[in-house]
Amino acid sequence: MINVKNVTKNFQSVQVLKGVSCTIKKGERVVILGPSGSGKSTLLRCMNLLETPNSGEIWIGDDLITSMDPALHPDLIDKKAGKSAVRRVAKAYEAEHKTDINLARRQMGMVFQHFNLFNNLTVLQNMTLAPIQLKLKTKEEAEKTAMELLERIDLLDKINVYPSTLSGGQKQRVAIVRALAMNPKVMLFDEPTSALDPEMVGEVLDLIKQLADEGMTMVIVTHEMGFAREVASRVLFMDGGKIMEQGTPEEVFDHPQCPRLQEFLSKVI
Amino acid sequence: MNFFEGVSTLFSSEKYMDLLIEGFKNTFIISMAATVFGLILGTIVALINLAPNSPLMWVPKAISKVYITVIRGTPMALQLFIMIFVVFAIRGFPPVVTAIIAFGINSGAYVAENIRAGILSVDIGQTEAGRALGLSNGTTMMKIVIPQAIKNVIPAIGNEVIALIKETSIVGMISITDLTQSAKIIGAGNNMASYLIPMSVAALFYLAIVYALTLVIKVIERRLRASDKR
Ligand SMILES: Nc1ncnc2c1ncn2[C@@H]1O[C@H](COP(=O)(O)OP(=O)(O)OP(=O)(O)O)[C@@H](O)[C@H]1O
Ligand SMILES: [Mg+2]
Repeated sequence: MINVKNVTKNFQSVQVLKGVSCTIKKGERVVILGPSGSGKSTLLRCMNLLETPNSGEIWIGDDLITSMDPALHPDLIDKKAGKSAVRRVAKAYEAEHKTDINLARRQMGMVFQHFNLFNNLTVLQNMTLAPIQLKLKTKEEAEKTAMELLERIDLLDKINVYPSTLSGGQKQRVAIVRALAMNPKVMLFDEPTSALDPEMVGEVLDLIKQLADEGMTMVIVTHEMGFAREVASRVLFMDGGKIMEQGTPEEVFDHPQCPRLQEFLSKVI
Repeated sequence: MNFFEGVSTLFSSEKYMDLLIEGFKNTFIISMAATVFGLILGTIVALINLAPNSPLMWVPKAISKVYITVIRGTPMALQLFIMIFVVFAIRGFPPVVTAIIAFGINSGAYVAENIRAGILSVDIGQTEAGRALGLSNGTTMMKIVIPQAIKNVIPAIGNEVIALIKETSIVGMISITDLTQSAKIIGAGNNMASYLIPMSVAALFYLAIVYALTLVIKVIERRLRASDKR
Protein backbone atom coordinates (compact mmCIF):
# COMPACT_ATOMS: atom_id res chain seq x y z
CA MET A 1 0.00 0.00 0.00
CA ILE A 2 2.62 2.53 1.12
CA ASN A 3 6.28 1.79 0.66
CA VAL A 4 8.83 4.21 2.10
CA LYS A 5 12.38 3.51 0.92
CA ASN A 6 15.36 5.04 2.64
CA VAL A 7 13.82 8.50 2.86
CA THR A 8 15.76 11.48 4.14
CA LYS A 9 14.42 14.94 4.76
CA ASN A 10 16.33 18.09 5.64
CA PHE A 11 14.96 21.35 6.91
CA GLN A 12 17.66 23.84 6.07
CA SER A 13 20.79 22.19 7.45
CA VAL A 14 19.02 19.92 9.94
CA GLN A 15 18.38 16.34 8.88
CA VAL A 16 15.00 15.40 10.34
CA LEU A 17 14.61 12.00 8.64
CA LYS A 18 17.82 10.01 8.39
CA GLY A 19 17.02 7.21 6.01
CA VAL A 20 13.62 5.84 7.00
CA SER A 21 12.19 2.72 5.40
CA CYS A 22 8.85 1.13 6.18
CA THR A 23 5.99 -0.63 4.50
CA ILE A 24 2.33 -0.18 5.30
CA LYS A 25 0.29 -3.13 4.07
CA LYS A 26 -3.39 -3.18 3.26
CA GLY A 27 -5.50 -3.53 6.41
CA GLU A 28 -2.66 -2.64 8.75
CA ARG A 29 -3.07 -0.11 11.54
CA VAL A 30 0.35 1.32 12.14
CA VAL A 31 0.91 3.61 15.10
CA ILE A 32 4.02 5.79 15.13
CA LEU A 33 5.37 6.70 18.57
CA GLY A 34 8.34 8.77 19.57
CA PRO A 35 9.50 11.81 21.47
CA SER A 36 8.73 15.31 20.28
CA GLY A 37 10.88 16.35 17.33
CA SER A 38 11.76 12.78 16.36
CA GLY A 39 10.30 13.23 12.87
CA LYS A 40 6.94 11.46 13.20
CA SER A 41 4.90 14.22 11.56
CA THR A 42 7.54 14.72 8.90
CA LEU A 43 7.44 11.03 7.98
CA LEU A 44 3.64 11.04 7.84
CA ARG A 45 3.60 14.23 5.74
CA CYS A 46 6.15 12.74 3.35
CA MET A 47 3.74 9.88 2.70
CA ASN A 48 1.39 12.22 0.85
CA LEU A 49 4.09 14.61 -0.22
CA LEU A 50 3.07 17.53 1.94
CA GLU A 51 6.81 17.43 2.55
CA THR A 52 9.11 16.48 -0.31
CA PRO A 53 11.88 14.05 0.69
CA ASN A 54 15.45 15.00 -0.18
CA SER A 55 16.32 11.44 -1.13
CA GLY A 56 14.76 8.01 -1.11
CA GLU A 57 11.51 6.97 -2.73
CA ILE A 58 7.88 6.65 -1.70
CA TRP A 59 5.52 4.32 -3.48
CA ILE A 60 1.76 4.22 -3.17
CA GLY A 61 0.79 0.80 -4.47
CA ASP A 62 2.52 0.55 -7.83
CA ASP A 63 2.92 4.29 -8.21
CA LEU A 64 6.06 6.24 -7.45
CA ILE A 65 5.18 9.66 -6.00
CA THR A 66 8.67 11.04 -5.35
CA SER A 67 11.53 11.43 -7.79
CA MET A 68 13.49 8.32 -8.55
CA ASP A 69 16.45 7.85 -6.22
CA PRO A 70 19.34 6.48 -8.32
CA ALA A 71 21.00 5.10 -5.17
CA LEU A 72 18.13 2.59 -4.85
CA HIS A 73 18.63 1.25 -8.38
CA PRO A 74 22.24 0.14 -8.72
CA ASP A 75 21.11 -2.40 -11.30
CA LEU A 76 19.79 0.31 -13.64
CA ILE A 77 22.69 2.67 -13.41
CA ASP A 78 26.23 2.09 -14.54
CA LYS A 79 28.57 3.14 -11.75
CA LYS A 80 30.84 5.00 -14.11
CA ALA A 81 28.00 6.80 -15.89
CA GLY A 82 28.06 10.58 -15.87
CA LYS A 83 25.45 12.81 -14.28
CA SER A 84 23.54 13.36 -17.48
CA ALA A 85 23.31 9.61 -18.10
CA VAL A 86 21.92 9.11 -14.60
CA ARG A 87 19.42 11.87 -15.20
CA ARG A 88 18.34 10.24 -18.44
CA VAL A 89 17.78 6.88 -16.76
CA ALA A 90 15.86 8.54 -13.92
CA LYS A 91 13.66 10.40 -16.37
CA ALA A 92 12.79 7.26 -18.27
CA TYR A 93 12.12 5.42 -15.01
CA GLU A 94 9.87 8.20 -13.74
CA ALA A 95 8.01 8.34 -17.04
CA GLU A 96 7.15 4.70 -16.51
CA HIS A 97 6.37 4.64 -12.77
CA LYS A 98 5.74 8.12 -11.43
CA THR A 99 2.17 9.26 -10.91
CA ASP A 100 0.54 12.66 -10.56
CA ILE A 101 0.60 13.45 -6.85
CA ASN A 102 -2.91 14.88 -6.97
CA LEU A 103 -4.20 11.50 -8.14
CA ALA A 104 -2.28 9.65 -5.44
CA ARG A 105 -3.56 11.99 -2.73
CA ARG A 106 -7.18 11.15 -3.56
CA GLN A 107 -6.54 7.68 -2.19
CA MET A 108 -5.09 8.99 1.06
CA GLY A 109 -7.16 10.75 3.68
CA MET A 110 -5.23 13.06 5.97
CA VAL A 111 -6.37 14.21 9.40
CA PHE A 112 -4.48 17.08 11.00
CA GLN A 113 -3.84 18.02 14.58
CA HIS A 114 -5.60 21.33 14.07
CA PHE A 115 -8.51 19.93 12.01
CA ASN A 116 -8.01 22.40 9.15
CA LEU A 117 -11.66 22.51 8.18
CA PHE A 118 -12.22 25.12 5.47
CA ASN A 119 -13.36 28.18 7.42
CA ASN A 120 -15.15 29.78 4.48
CA LEU A 121 -17.33 26.75 3.80
CA THR A 122 -20.15 25.07 5.68
CA VAL A 123 -19.81 21.56 7.04
CA LEU A 124 -21.60 20.18 3.97
CA GLN A 125 -19.48 22.22 1.56
CA ASN A 126 -16.34 21.10 3.37
CA MET A 127 -17.30 17.52 2.65
CA THR A 128 -18.43 17.92 -0.94
CA LEU A 129 -15.87 20.40 -2.28
CA ALA A 130 -13.21 17.90 -3.31
CA PRO A 131 -15.49 15.13 -4.69
CA ILE A 132 -17.35 17.71 -6.79
CA GLN A 133 -14.30 19.71 -7.92
CA LEU A 134 -12.47 16.55 -8.91
CA LYS A 135 -15.57 15.32 -10.74
CA LEU A 136 -15.64 12.09 -8.75
CA LYS A 137 -19.30 12.61 -7.89
CA THR A 138 -22.19 14.76 -8.98
CA LYS A 139 -23.38 17.38 -6.50
CA GLU A 140 -26.35 15.19 -5.52
CA GLU A 141 -24.23 12.09 -4.98
CA ALA A 142 -21.63 14.01 -3.01
CA GLU A 143 -24.30 15.55 -0.79
CA LYS A 144 -25.93 12.19 -0.22
CA THR A 145 -22.63 10.65 0.84
CA ALA A 146 -21.91 13.63 3.08
CA MET A 147 -25.30 13.33 4.76
CA GLU A 148 -24.84 9.63 5.39
CA LEU A 149 -21.43 10.25 6.93
CA LEU A 150 -22.73 13.11 9.08
CA GLU A 151 -25.62 10.94 10.20
CA ARG A 152 -23.12 8.32 11.22
CA ILE A 153 -21.22 10.73 13.48
CA ASP A 154 -24.48 12.18 14.72
CA LEU A 155 -23.84 15.68 13.37
CA LEU A 156 -26.49 15.86 10.68
CA ASP A 157 -28.00 18.87 12.47
CA LYS A 158 -24.73 20.77 11.89
CA ILE A 159 -24.79 20.26 8.15
CA ASN A 160 -25.22 23.93 7.24
CA VAL A 161 -23.17 25.62 9.93
CA TYR A 162 -19.67 27.03 9.56
CA PRO A 163 -16.77 25.26 11.30
CA SER A 164 -16.25 28.13 13.76
CA THR A 165 -19.48 27.14 15.54
CA LEU A 166 -18.35 23.56 16.23
CA SER A 167 -16.54 22.23 19.28
CA GLY A 168 -13.05 20.80 18.84
CA GLY A 169 -14.26 17.21 18.95
CA GLN A 170 -17.00 17.95 16.43
CA LYS A 171 -14.50 19.68 14.13
CA GLN A 172 -12.15 16.71 14.19
CA ARG A 173 -14.95 14.23 13.54
CA VAL A 174 -16.10 16.31 10.58
CA ALA A 175 -12.49 16.45 9.36
CA ILE A 176 -12.35 12.66 9.53
CA VAL A 177 -15.55 12.13 7.58
CA ARG A 178 -14.48 14.82 5.09
CA ALA A 179 -11.52 12.59 4.32
CA LEU A 180 -13.77 9.50 4.22
CA ALA A 181 -16.01 11.18 1.66
CA MET A 182 -13.20 10.64 -0.85
CA ASN A 183 -13.31 6.85 -0.27
CA PRO A 184 -9.61 6.72 0.59
CA LYS A 185 -7.67 3.45 0.67
CA VAL A 186 -5.61 4.62 3.61
CA MET A 187 -6.00 7.23 6.34
CA LEU A 188 -3.13 9.24 7.81
CA PHE A 189 -3.67 10.75 11.26
CA ASP A 190 -1.22 13.28 12.73
CA GLU A 191 -1.95 13.59 16.44
CA PRO A 192 -5.71 13.81 15.88
CA THR A 193 -6.50 14.43 19.55
CA SER A 194 -3.58 16.58 20.70
CA ALA A 195 -5.41 19.87 20.23
CA LEU A 196 -8.59 18.70 21.98
CA ASP A 197 -9.90 19.31 25.47
CA PRO A 198 -9.68 16.06 27.44
CA GLU A 199 -13.42 15.48 27.49
CA MET A 200 -13.52 15.46 23.66
CA VAL A 201 -10.68 13.03 23.07
CA GLY A 202 -12.91 10.00 23.58
CA GLU A 203 -15.41 10.77 20.84
CA VAL A 204 -12.63 11.18 18.26
CA LEU A 205 -10.75 8.05 19.31
CA ASP A 206 -14.01 6.08 19.22
CA LEU A 207 -14.58 7.10 15.62
CA ILE A 208 -11.04 6.10 14.66
CA LYS A 209 -11.51 2.75 16.39
CA GLN A 210 -14.71 2.18 14.42
CA LEU A 211 -12.79 2.74 11.20
CA ALA A 212 -10.12 0.33 12.40
CA ASP A 213 -12.76 -2.31 13.09
CA GLU A 214 -14.09 -1.86 9.57
CA GLY A 215 -10.68 -2.73 8.20
CA MET A 216 -9.47 0.71 7.13
CA THR A 217 -5.73 0.85 6.54
CA MET A 218 -4.25 3.59 8.68
CA VAL A 219 -1.13 5.27 9.93
CA ILE A 220 -1.53 7.13 13.20
CA VAL A 221 0.86 9.43 15.00
CA THR A 222 -0.36 9.73 18.57
CA HIS A 223 0.67 10.24 22.16
CA GLU A 224 -2.36 8.31 23.46
CA MET A 225 -0.65 5.12 24.64
CA GLY A 226 -3.76 3.24 25.69
CA PHE A 227 -5.38 3.93 22.35
CA ALA A 228 -2.19 2.96 20.51
CA ARG A 229 -2.03 -0.40 22.24
CA GLU A 230 -5.70 -1.05 21.57
CA VAL A 231 -5.90 -0.06 17.94
CA ALA A 232 -2.46 -0.82 16.51
CA SER A 233 -1.59 -3.93 14.59
CA ARG A 234 2.01 -2.71 14.49
CA VAL A 235 3.87 0.00 16.36
CA LEU A 236 6.86 1.98 15.04
CA PHE A 237 9.08 3.79 17.49
CA MET A 238 10.98 6.75 16.05
CA ASP A 239 13.81 8.68 17.60
CA GLY A 240 16.24 11.16 16.08
CA GLY A 241 14.86 10.77 12.58
CA LYS A 242 15.09 6.98 12.47
CA ILE A 243 12.80 4.05 13.16
CA MET A 244 14.51 2.52 16.19
CA GLU A 245 12.18 -0.37 16.86
CA GLN A 246 8.97 -1.90 15.61
CA GLY A 247 6.67 -4.75 16.40
CA THR A 248 3.27 -5.73 17.72
CA PRO A 249 1.89 -3.59 20.56
CA GLU A 250 2.77 -6.41 23.01
CA GLU A 251 6.36 -6.53 21.80
CA VAL A 252 6.84 -2.78 21.85
CA PHE A 253 5.00 -1.96 25.08
CA ASP A 254 5.74 -5.07 27.15
CA HIS A 255 9.17 -6.12 25.89
CA PRO A 256 10.90 -3.01 24.56
CA GLN A 257 14.41 -3.80 23.36
CA CYS A 258 16.23 -0.57 22.65
CA PRO A 259 17.14 1.66 25.60
CA ARG A 260 15.68 4.79 24.02
CA LEU A 261 12.28 3.09 23.75
CA GLN A 262 12.50 1.83 27.35
CA GLU A 263 13.29 5.37 28.48
CA PHE A 264 10.48 6.81 26.35
CA LEU A 265 7.91 4.37 27.74
CA SER A 266 8.99 4.96 31.31
CA LYS A 267 8.34 8.67 30.80
CA VAL A 268 4.95 8.47 29.11
CA ILE A 269 3.27 5.61 30.94
CA MET B 1 -17.84 89.66 0.39
CA ASN B 2 -18.03 87.16 3.20
CA PHE B 3 -17.41 83.43 2.94
CA PHE B 4 -21.01 82.35 2.46
CA GLU B 5 -21.72 85.00 -0.15
CA GLY B 6 -18.62 83.77 -1.91
CA VAL B 7 -19.82 80.19 -1.86
CA SER B 8 -23.21 81.14 -3.23
CA THR B 9 -21.60 83.29 -5.96
CA LEU B 10 -19.46 80.33 -6.94
CA PHE B 11 -22.39 77.94 -7.05
CA SER B 12 -24.55 80.33 -9.05
CA SER B 13 -21.89 81.09 -11.64
CA GLU B 14 -22.33 78.77 -14.57
CA LYS B 15 -18.74 79.27 -15.68
CA TYR B 16 -17.32 78.27 -12.31
CA MET B 17 -19.70 75.38 -11.83
CA ASP B 18 -18.82 73.99 -15.26
CA LEU B 19 -15.15 74.16 -14.32
CA LEU B 20 -15.72 72.48 -10.96
CA ILE B 21 -17.83 69.74 -12.48
CA GLU B 22 -15.26 69.10 -15.17
CA GLY B 23 -12.64 68.88 -12.46
CA PHE B 24 -14.77 66.53 -10.42
CA LYS B 25 -15.40 64.38 -13.47
CA ASN B 26 -11.68 64.08 -14.24
CA THR B 27 -10.76 63.31 -10.65
CA PHE B 28 -13.49 60.70 -10.53
CA ILE B 29 -12.63 59.08 -13.85
CA ILE B 30 -8.90 58.95 -13.16
CA SER B 31 -9.36 57.56 -9.64
CA MET B 32 -11.89 54.91 -10.56
CA ALA B 33 -10.19 53.71 -13.73
CA ALA B 34 -6.79 53.66 -12.00
CA THR B 35 -8.32 51.71 -9.10
CA VAL B 36 -9.67 49.03 -11.42
CA PHE B 37 -6.41 48.90 -13.34
CA GLY B 38 -4.42 48.76 -10.10
CA LEU B 39 -6.57 45.96 -8.67
CA ILE B 40 -6.13 43.80 -11.75
CA LEU B 41 -2.42 44.49 -12.02
CA GLY B 42 -1.88 44.06 -8.29
CA THR B 43 -3.70 40.74 -8.21
CA ILE B 44 -1.64 39.38 -11.08
CA VAL B 45 1.62 40.54 -9.51
CA ALA B 46 0.66 39.09 -6.12
CA LEU B 47 -0.15 35.72 -7.67
CA ILE B 48 3.16 35.72 -9.54
CA ASN B 49 5.00 36.49 -6.30
CA LEU B 50 3.24 33.67 -4.46
CA ALA B 51 3.48 31.08 -7.23
CA PRO B 52 5.76 28.14 -6.43
CA ASN B 53 9.35 28.63 -7.54
CA SER B 54 10.05 27.10 -10.91
CA PRO B 55 12.38 27.96 -13.78
CA LEU B 56 9.36 29.15 -15.73
CA MET B 57 8.43 31.68 -13.05
CA TRP B 58 11.93 33.05 -12.56
CA VAL B 59 11.65 35.98 -14.97
CA PRO B 60 8.09 37.04 -14.02
CA LYS B 61 9.04 36.89 -10.34
CA ALA B 62 12.14 39.03 -10.91
CA ILE B 63 10.13 41.58 -12.91
CA SER B 64 7.42 41.86 -10.29
CA LYS B 65 9.98 42.31 -7.49
CA VAL B 66 11.70 45.13 -9.39
CA TYR B 67 8.32 46.67 -10.22
CA ILE B 68 7.21 46.78 -6.60
CA THR B 69 10.56 48.10 -5.37
CA VAL B 70 10.82 50.85 -7.97
CA ILE B 71 7.22 52.03 -7.75
CA ARG B 72 7.16 52.12 -3.97
CA GLY B 73 10.58 53.73 -3.81
CA THR B 74 10.01 56.71 -6.12
CA PRO B 75 7.66 59.72 -5.87
CA MET B 76 4.30 59.58 -7.63
CA ALA B 77 4.88 62.96 -9.31
CA LEU B 78 8.08 61.68 -10.88
CA GLN B 79 6.32 58.55 -12.15
CA LEU B 80 3.62 60.73 -13.67
CA PHE B 81 6.20 62.92 -15.43
CA ILE B 82 8.05 59.91 -16.80
CA MET B 83 4.77 58.58 -18.17
CA ILE B 84 3.75 61.79 -19.89
CA PHE B 85 7.14 63.05 -21.07
CA VAL B 86 8.86 59.76 -21.85
CA VAL B 87 6.60 56.73 -22.20
CA PHE B 88 3.55 58.40 -23.73
CA ALA B 89 5.28 61.37 -25.31
CA ILE B 90 3.02 60.92 -28.31
CA ARG B 91 1.25 63.89 -29.88
CA GLY B 92 -2.44 63.81 -29.21
CA PHE B 93 -2.29 61.00 -26.67
CA PRO B 94 -4.96 61.99 -24.12
CA PRO B 95 -3.28 63.05 -20.84
CA VAL B 96 -6.18 61.61 -18.82
CA VAL B 97 -5.37 58.14 -20.15
CA THR B 98 -1.72 58.68 -19.31
CA ALA B 99 -2.71 59.65 -15.78
CA ILE B 100 -4.94 56.57 -15.44
CA ILE B 101 -2.08 54.31 -16.50
CA ALA B 102 0.45 56.06 -14.24
CA PHE B 103 -1.80 55.91 -11.18
CA GLY B 104 -2.93 52.36 -11.99
CA ILE B 105 0.67 51.16 -12.19
CA ASN B 106 1.46 52.97 -8.95
CA SER B 107 -1.57 51.61 -7.14
CA GLY B 108 -0.92 48.09 -8.45
CA ALA B 109 2.35 47.88 -6.51
CA TYR B 110 0.63 48.68 -3.22
CA VAL B 111 -2.36 46.44 -3.99
CA ALA B 112 0.03 43.57 -4.80
CA GLU B 113 1.67 43.88 -1.42
CA ASN B 114 -1.70 44.05 0.34
CA ILE B 115 -2.99 40.98 -1.45
CA ARG B 116 0.22 39.07 -0.82
CA ALA B 117 0.00 39.85 2.89
CA GLY B 118 -3.69 38.87 2.91
CA ILE B 119 -3.04 35.52 1.27
CA LEU B 120 -0.11 34.79 3.59
CA SER B 121 -2.32 35.58 6.58
CA VAL B 122 -4.53 32.59 5.76
CA ASP B 123 -3.41 29.60 7.85
CA ILE B 124 -1.16 27.26 5.85
CA GLY B 125 -3.26 24.38 7.23
CA GLN B 126 -6.10 25.47 4.93
CA THR B 127 -3.89 24.98 1.89
CA GLU B 128 -2.51 21.70 3.20
CA ALA B 129 -6.00 20.32 3.81
CA GLY B 130 -7.03 21.23 0.27
CA ARG B 131 -3.94 19.71 -1.30
CA ALA B 132 -4.22 16.58 0.88
CA LEU B 133 -7.69 15.99 -0.59
CA GLY B 134 -6.14 15.95 -4.04
CA LEU B 135 -7.18 19.45 -5.10
CA SER B 136 -4.72 21.30 -7.33
CA ASN B 137 -2.84 24.34 -6.13
CA GLY B 138 -5.04 26.56 -8.31
CA THR B 139 -8.34 25.12 -7.07
CA THR B 140 -7.17 25.33 -3.46
CA MET B 141 -6.30 28.99 -4.01
CA MET B 142 -9.55 29.89 -5.76
CA LYS B 143 -11.96 27.97 -3.54
CA ILE B 144 -10.33 28.16 -0.12
CA VAL B 145 -7.47 30.60 0.28
CA ILE B 146 -8.54 33.62 -1.76
CA PRO B 147 -12.10 33.77 -0.37
CA GLN B 148 -10.58 33.91 3.12
CA ALA B 149 -7.85 36.34 2.10
CA ILE B 150 -10.34 38.82 0.61
CA LYS B 151 -11.79 39.47 4.03
CA ASN B 152 -8.36 40.38 5.37
CA VAL B 153 -7.48 42.47 2.35
CA ILE B 154 -10.56 44.66 1.87
CA PRO B 155 -9.73 47.23 4.59
CA ALA B 156 -6.17 47.71 3.30
CA ILE B 157 -7.37 47.98 -0.30
CA GLY B 158 -9.97 50.54 0.83
CA ASN B 159 -7.23 52.66 2.36
CA GLU B 160 -5.20 52.34 -0.80
CA VAL B 161 -8.09 53.56 -2.96
CA ILE B 162 -8.69 56.52 -0.66
CA ALA B 163 -5.02 57.45 -0.80
CA LEU B 164 -5.12 57.13 -4.58
CA ILE B 165 -8.08 59.50 -4.93
CA LYS B 166 -6.28 62.17 -2.97
CA GLU B 167 -3.00 61.62 -4.76
CA THR B 168 -4.63 62.34 -8.12
CA SER B 169 -4.65 66.00 -7.06
CA ILE B 170 -1.21 66.35 -8.64
CA VAL B 171 -2.47 65.81 -12.20
CA GLY B 172 -2.76 69.56 -12.57
CA MET B 173 1.00 69.38 -13.10
CA ILE B 174 0.39 67.70 -16.45
CA SER B 175 -2.36 70.18 -17.38
CA ILE B 176 -5.35 68.06 -16.55
CA THR B 177 -8.19 70.04 -15.02
CA ASP B 178 -9.02 67.91 -12.02
CA LEU B 179 -10.87 69.07 -8.92
CA THR B 180 -7.83 70.73 -7.37
CA GLN B 181 -6.77 72.37 -10.60
CA SER B 182 -10.25 73.71 -11.29
CA ALA B 183 -10.35 75.25 -7.81
CA LYS B 184 -7.01 76.88 -8.52
CA ILE B 185 -8.26 78.30 -11.83
CA ILE B 186 -11.41 79.67 -10.22
CA GLY B 187 -9.39 81.16 -7.39
CA ALA B 188 -7.13 82.91 -9.84
CA GLY B 189 -10.14 84.27 -11.77
CA ASN B 190 -11.24 87.90 -11.60
CA ASN B 191 -14.39 87.69 -9.57
CA MET B 192 -13.06 85.40 -6.90
CA ALA B 193 -10.04 87.25 -5.69
CA SER B 194 -9.48 84.55 -3.14
CA TYR B 195 -8.45 80.92 -3.21
CA LEU B 196 -10.19 80.20 0.08
CA ILE B 197 -13.68 79.67 -1.28
CA PRO B 198 -12.99 77.47 -4.33
CA MET B 199 -10.42 75.45 -2.39
CA SER B 200 -12.91 74.85 0.42
CA VAL B 201 -15.56 73.78 -2.05
CA ALA B 202 -13.10 71.42 -3.73
CA ALA B 203 -12.21 70.02 -0.32
CA LEU B 204 -15.90 69.30 0.27
CA PHE B 205 -16.07 67.41 -3.01
CA TYR B 206 -13.08 65.27 -2.04
CA LEU B 207 -14.58 64.65 1.37
CA ALA B 208 -17.85 63.60 -0.22
CA ILE B 209 -16.13 61.08 -2.53
CA VAL B 210 -14.00 59.62 0.24
CA TYR B 211 -16.91 59.46 2.66
CA ALA B 212 -19.12 57.69 0.14
CA LEU B 213 -16.32 55.23 -0.54
CA THR B 214 -15.84 54.58 3.17
CA LEU B 215 -19.51 53.67 3.42
CA VAL B 216 -19.26 51.31 0.45
CA ILE B 217 -16.24 49.56 2.00
CA LYS B 218 -18.10 49.18 5.30
CA VAL B 219 -21.02 47.53 3.53
CA ILE B 220 -18.71 45.16 1.64
CA GLU B 221 -16.91 44.23 4.85
CA ARG B 222 -20.19 43.52 6.60
CA ARG B 223 -21.41 41.38 3.71
CA LEU B 224 -18.22 39.33 3.71
CA ARG B 225 -18.35 38.83 7.42
CA ALA B 226 -21.96 37.64 7.24
CA SER B 227 -20.82 34.77 5.01
CA ASP B 228 -18.82 33.21 7.84
CA LYS B 229 -21.40 33.89 10.51
CA ARG B 230 -20.51 32.43 13.82
N1 LIG C 1 8.72 23.26 8.17
C1 LIG C 1 9.78 23.08 9.00
N2 LIG C 1 10.86 23.88 8.92
C2 LIG C 1 11.93 23.69 9.73
N3 LIG C 1 12.01 22.74 10.65
C3 LIG C 1 10.97 21.89 10.77
C4 LIG C 1 9.80 22.02 9.96
N4 LIG C 1 8.93 21.06 10.31
C5 LIG C 1 9.53 20.36 11.30
N5 LIG C 1 10.74 20.85 11.58
C6 LIG C 1 11.68 20.31 12.57
O1 LIG C 1 11.89 18.95 12.31
C7 LIG C 1 11.96 18.20 13.49
C8 LIG C 1 11.00 17.06 13.45
O2 LIG C 1 9.69 17.58 13.40
P1 LIG C 1 8.38 16.70 13.42
O3 LIG C 1 7.25 17.65 13.39
O4 LIG C 1 8.44 15.68 12.36
O5 LIG C 1 8.49 16.01 14.83
P2 LIG C 1 7.40 15.16 15.59
O6 LIG C 1 8.02 13.86 15.88
O7 LIG C 1 6.13 15.17 14.84
O8 LIG C 1 7.25 15.95 16.93
P3 LIG C 1 5.92 16.31 17.77
O9 LIG C 1 5.63 15.13 18.64
O10 LIG C 1 6.35 17.49 18.57
O11 LIG C 1 4.83 16.63 16.81
C9 LIG C 1 11.70 19.16 14.63
O12 LIG C 1 12.94 19.49 15.23
C10 LIG C 1 11.10 20.37 13.97
O13 LIG C 1 11.50 21.54 14.64
MG1 LIG D 1 4.23 16.13 15.05
